[in-house]
Amino acid sequence: MSSIRRLLIANRGEIALRIIRTCREMHIEAVAIYSDVDANAPHVLAADFAVRVGPAPASESYLNVPAVIDAARTAGADAVHPGYGFLSERAAFAAACADARLIFVGPPADAIDRMGSKIGARALMEKAGVPVVPGHTPTDQSDAGISAAAHAIGFPVLIKASAGGGGKGMRSAGDETTLAEAIPAARREALAAFGDGTLYVERLIERPRHVEVQIFADSRGNTVHLFERECSIQRRHQKILEESPSPALTPALRERIGRAAVAAAQGSGYLNAGTIEFLLDGTGDAAKFYFLEMNTRLQVEHPVTELVTGADLVRAQLLVAMGEPLPWTQADLAQRGHAIECRVYAEDPANDFLPQAGPLRLYREPSGPGIRIDSGVVEGAEVPVQYDPMLAKLIAHGATRDAAIARTAAALRRFPILGVRTNISFLINILEHPAFRVGDVHTGFVEEHLDALLRTAPPSPFVRAVAAFALNQPAGSVDGTTTAAEPWTDLRGWGR
Amino acid sequence: MADIARGQSPGELLVRDGIRVDRMYAVSSGGKTWIFHDGVVYEIIEESHARKRAGAHESLTAPMPATVIQVNVTTGAEVRRGDILLLLEAMKMELPLRAPAGGRISAVNCRAGELVQPGATLIEIE
Repeated sequence: MSSIRRLLIANRGEIALRIIRTCREMHIEAVAIYSDVDANAPHVLAADFAVRVGPAPASESYLNVPAVIDAARTAGADAVHPGYGFLSERAAFAAACADARLIFVGPPADAIDRMGSKIGARALMEKAGVPVVPGHTPTDQSDAGISAAAHAIGFPVLIKASAGGGGKGMRSAGDETTLAEAIPAARREALAAFGDGTLYVERLIERPRHVEVQIFADSRGNTVHLFERECSIQRRHQKILEESPSPALTPALRERIGRAAVAAAQGSGYLNAGTIEFLLDGTGDAAKFYFLEMNTRLQVEHPVTELVTGADLVRAQLLVAMGEPLPWTQADLAQRGHAIECRVYAEDPANDFLPQAGPLRLYREPSGPGIRIDSGVVEGAEVPVQYDPMLAKLIAHGATRDAAIARTAAALRRFPILGVRTNISFLINILEHPAFRVGDVHTGFVEEHLDALLRTAPPSPFVRAVAAFALNQPAGSVDGTTTAAEPWTDLRGWGR
Repeated sequence: MADIARGQSPGELLVRDGIRVDRMYAVSSGGKTWIFHDGVVYEIIEESHARKRAGAHESLTAPMPATVIQVNVTTGAEVRRGDILLLLEAMKMELPLRAPAGGRISAVNCRAGELVQPGATLIEIE
C-alpha cells in the first residue's frame, strides 16, 4: 500500500475543482496545472501548487504528456488524477505516469488500451457474456469498403471513430445518400480528434435509451456497481441531462444490467472507477440491452450517482489507487431518491448550438437544499475559446423524480448568466416537456422535440420596462407598455 | 406603472408593481443589453447598432475563432436558404454555416485550412 500525499490534477475547470474538494477532505495536497490563458483560473486559485504546462492550445498544454509529467516532478507529486477528457483515456499517459513512478488514479494502461479500442472491447464483452450490438470494423477502410459493411449490417447504421468517444467522429446514415456524406465527415472528425481515421460501422438501434452503469473495482478482487444513470437526453451524442435512477428500469432489469456491468468490468481486468454504457431497447422486464462502450475514467455525470448513493467517487478512486479496498460492498449500496444533472453550456441553441466564447459579464449560481453546482468559472472571467464550452453542472436531488425535476427547473430559473449565450432556457424546456416528465425519452428526444425545446416566452411588460430602464439609465418609473417600442429594435428571447 | 430600483448586487434590478415584486438581472455593453428573467435571457440591440446591419446584402461572418475545413461554394453560385456554404471547426466540433437567405454568392473571402477571427466576413450573398 502506498499513500498519496500530493496529487497532481491533469485537468482544468470544474472537474479539477471537484477533485481538489476531495483532496481537502483527505488532507492531500493538490497540484494544479495550467495553460497561459488559465494562469489565474479558479482551479489554480484552489490548489496548493500550480505549474504551467504550456500555451493556450490544449495540444500544447493539457494534452502535452511530457509537460504534465515534468510538472508532477517539479511539484513533487506522488500521484496523478486525469479527470475526464484530455489525457484521461490515453493508455500512453497512464504508462508514462507508471514509468515516472507516479500513481495513476485510474485503471492500468493495458486496461485502458483493451477498452479503448471498440473492436477489442467488443470481443472482450462477447467473451464475458455481455450482449453487443451487431457491427464491425471493415478491413477495407475505403469509402466503398465502409459502404459495403453498412449494407451487410443493414440500414440504418452508425459510423464511428474506432479510437473515439464522446460523440466525436460519429455519424448516422439511414440510406446510401446520407452514408456518402457521413463517411468523409466521420473520418475527418476521427482524424482531427484522435489522430486515427479508422471507422467502425454498426447497426443503429432506433429510439434506444442510453443507460450506463457505474462500476468500481479494487486491487483486492472486489467489483461493485453503483447503479445506473439514464443519459438519453443528448444531442449529436453529447450528453446534456442525466438522471438516476432511470425511469425505464424495473427492479429485475436493474438487477440484470448491474450484473452484466460487473461481469464486463471483471472480464476486462479492470481497476478503479469505470462506466459501462448500454443501449436499452424497450422498457420493462423484457427490455434488451447491448454493450455500447466502456469509459475508463470518472464521468462528467458522476455527481448524480454520488447524490443517490451518498458515495464520494473521487475519494473511492484515491483509496483504490492507494491499494486500499473499496469503501463499500455491494450490499452497502442503495439508491435513495432521485438526482438530475444539467450541463450548462456556453452555446446558442437557436443557432445550431454554436459554442460561445467571451466575457461572463454576470454569473450568479443558485443555491439551496438539494442543489449542487460543480463549476469552473467566475463572474468577470472570459470563457476561453480553446476548451470545452461547459460552464457548470447543476445537480439536484429530491425524494422523487417529480421533486428532482421541480427542484432542477426552479434552480435554473434562478441562474442568471449574461454576456455569453447559454442553454439554460433550453434545459428548462426539456425538464418541463410532457414527454420528459413521464420519462418517455430516447436518444433522439432532443431532435424529435427540437422546435418545442427552442421556444421561449415573449418578454413580459416587466421585462420591457427593465429594458427601457437599462438603456436609459435614470432610476425611477418607466411605463413598460408605452415606452416598449422606443429604445430598441430587436427585443427577443433567443428562441425561434 | 412599474417601479424599478437597483438591487443589492451589481446588475440586479427589483421591479415593483403595487405589491407585486420581481427580480431581474441586466448588463449593457457595446450597444447590447442583456436581461435575465426567470430562466430566459433577452438581448436588446440599440437602434443605432441595429441599423448598421440592415440592407439587402447578406454576409456570413465567423462567429468565433475557427478553422475553415471546407468551402462548398464559389463566386457566382446560386444558393438556397439553408444550404451549407462552409464547414468550420472550433472547440473540437464541426460547425456548418448555412445561407441565411437565397441568392447569388458575390464573394468568398476564405479558403480551406485558414484560421478565421470572429467578425471576419467569410462569404457575401446578393
